[in-house]
Amino acid sequence: MENEMTYTAAFDELQQIVADMEDGEITVDDLAVKVKRAAELIKICKQKLTSTEEDVNAILKELEG
Amino acid sequence: MSETRQIFTLKQVVSSIRKTLEERYQQLYWVKAEMHKLNRFPSGHAFPELVQKEDDRIVAQIGATIWSQNLLRIQKQFAEIVKEPLKEGTTLLMQVKIVFHETYGLSLQVIDIDPSYSLGELQKERQETLKKLQAEGILNKNQFLDFPLLPKRVAVISADQSKGLSDFMQVLDQNSRGYRFFTMLFPAYLQGDMAVASIQEQLRKIERVKQHFDVVVIVRGGGGEVGMSCYNNFALCKAIATFPLPILTGIGHSTNMTVAEMVAFRNAITPTELADFLLEAFDAFAVPVLNAQDQISSGSRQLLEKTQLHFGNETRLFRNAVRRCSEANKNQLHKISDAYRSNAQGMVRRHRQLMDFSSKELSRATRLVIEQGKEGVKRVPDSLKQRTNLTLANALNLVIQKENLVRLMDPVNVLRRGYSITTVNGHTVNAASELEDGTVIKTQAFDLEIESTVIKKKTYGK
Repeated sequence: MENEMTYTAAFDELQQIVADMEDGEITVDDLAVKVKRAAELIKICKQKLTSTEEDVNAILKELEG
Repeated sequence: MSETRQIFTLKQVVSSIRKTLEERYQQLYWVKAEMHKLNRFPSGHAFPELVQKEDDRIVAQIGATIWSQNLLRIQKQFAEIVKEPLKEGTTLLMQVKIVFHETYGLSLQVIDIDPSYSLGELQKERQETLKKLQAEGILNKNQFLDFPLLPKRVAVISADQSKGLSDFMQVLDQNSRGYRFFTMLFPAYLQGDMAVASIQEQLRKIERVKQHFDVVVIVRGGGGEVGMSCYNNFALCKAIATFPLPILTGIGHSTNMTVAEMVAFRNAITPTELADFLLEAFDAFAVPVLNAQDQISSGSRQLLEKTQLHFGNETRLFRNAVRRCSEANKNQLHKISDAYRSNAQGMVRRHRQLMDFSSKELSRATRLVIEQGKEGVKRVPDSLKQRTNLTLANALNLVIQKENLVRLMDPVNVLRRGYSITTVNGHTVNAASELEDGTVIKTQAFDLEIESTVIKKKTYGK
C-alpha cells in the first residue's frame, strides 16, 4: 500500500502535517499518530530522491516493439 | 558563290566574345540568387550553381566560381556575423564579376557574399517561425505543462561524446546530495542542416515511451557556435512546443535566443546550468522533506512542553483555588457557629427569664382565682334559689304560648277552616309562577284534591 503511494502525494501529505503542526491544529491526542505517519512519508520521499526504477533495456525493447 | 568568306578560328571567336563581355561588363554587380549547390572541389575552389526560382521553377541559372581565397574569407565572415556556414539552398546577396573564359565559358565569379543580407534572411525565418507558432496558439504550450515535483527520469537529446553531454552528466552524477537520476541518451545532430530532422526523429521516439520519462533535455556544447539556425526552424520549434513532456534546453551559445529555446519549458544557457536546474528541483523537494523532519520533531517537543507547562499551571492554580476556597469556608463556618452560639445563649436566657416570670404570674393568678372562687361560692346559695324559681315560671309561660301558636299554624287546621293550597308542579302558586292558559294546577283542600286547567290569569300589583 505504502509502496504504491506517489511521491507527490507523500510530499503533499507531509507538507500538510507540517502546516497543521505549525498552525497548532495537532493536539497531544493525535500527536503520536501524526508523527508516525510523518516518519513514513519522509521515508517514502527520501527513497524517491535516491533511487531509480527505470530500465534502459526495457525502454529499448518497447521502442523496437 | 564567289563570296569572300572570312574564317575565324574558335579561339578568335571566343576571345572576341570575351573581349566584348569584358568591355561591356567592367564593373562588379550585386546579384541576389539562390546558391543551389556549393560544389566545392578538393583544390579549395568552389563552383556553385546559381539559380533564380519563381514558384519553385528555375527561371534563370548560371554557373559560378568562388576561388579558394575568397571562399575562405567569405566563410570566416559568415561564421563571425551570421553564425552559420554558407548554406546551400538559401538566397544570398553576392558581389560578382561576369567573366568569360576561353575554355570554361561564361560564369559569374563571386568576389564577396554579404553576410548581413543572410543574417536578415535568418532573422526573417526566426520572425516567421515565431509568428506562425503564435498564430497556431502553441507558442507557450510546453511552458503550460505541469513540471514534475521530481524530474527524475530524463530523456537526453544530445550528441554522443559531446562536451555538452559530459558536462551535463557530470553535474547530475556527481551531486553531493546523493540524488539519483535515470537518464537515457537519444543521440542526434545538434547543429547544422541535419539537426532539424535528427532532433525531430528522437522526439518522436521519446514520445512513444513518454510514460518512462519526466522531462526531455536538449543539451549541446563544445561544437562551436555555427549552425544554430536549425533552432529557428518552424517544424522543429512546433515539435518542441507541442511535446507532451516539458522540454528543457541547454544548447550553449552567446547569440540571440533561438525560437526553440523560447518555446521550451525552460532554457538554460549551458548544459551545466541545466543540470543545476534539475538538482535545484530535487532540492526544492528534498529541503522541505528534511525541514519537515526537524519541524515535526521540534514541533512535537514544543507541543509536549507547552502541554506540560499548561498542565502544571492548571494544577498550581487549582491547588491555590482549593486552598483559598476551604480557607474561606472555614472562616464562614466559624462565623456562623459563633453567631449560632451567641444567638442560642441569648434565646435560652430570654426564655428562661420569660419562664421564671410566667411561673410567678401563674401561681399569683391561680391564687387570686381561687380566692375569688371561694368568695363567690359563699354568696351563691340564696340568690341561686330565688333566680331559679323565677326563671322556671317564665319558661313555662313561654312554652304554653308557643304551643298555641304552633297549633294555629298547622296547615291541616288552616285547611279545616276552609282555605286551600294551589300548586303547580309541586310549588305553591304566586305571581312568579309560570301560569299560561292550559297549565294544569293542583288544588288541595282539607278533604279533597282537584286538578284543573288555567283559563285566565290576572295578577295583582302590590
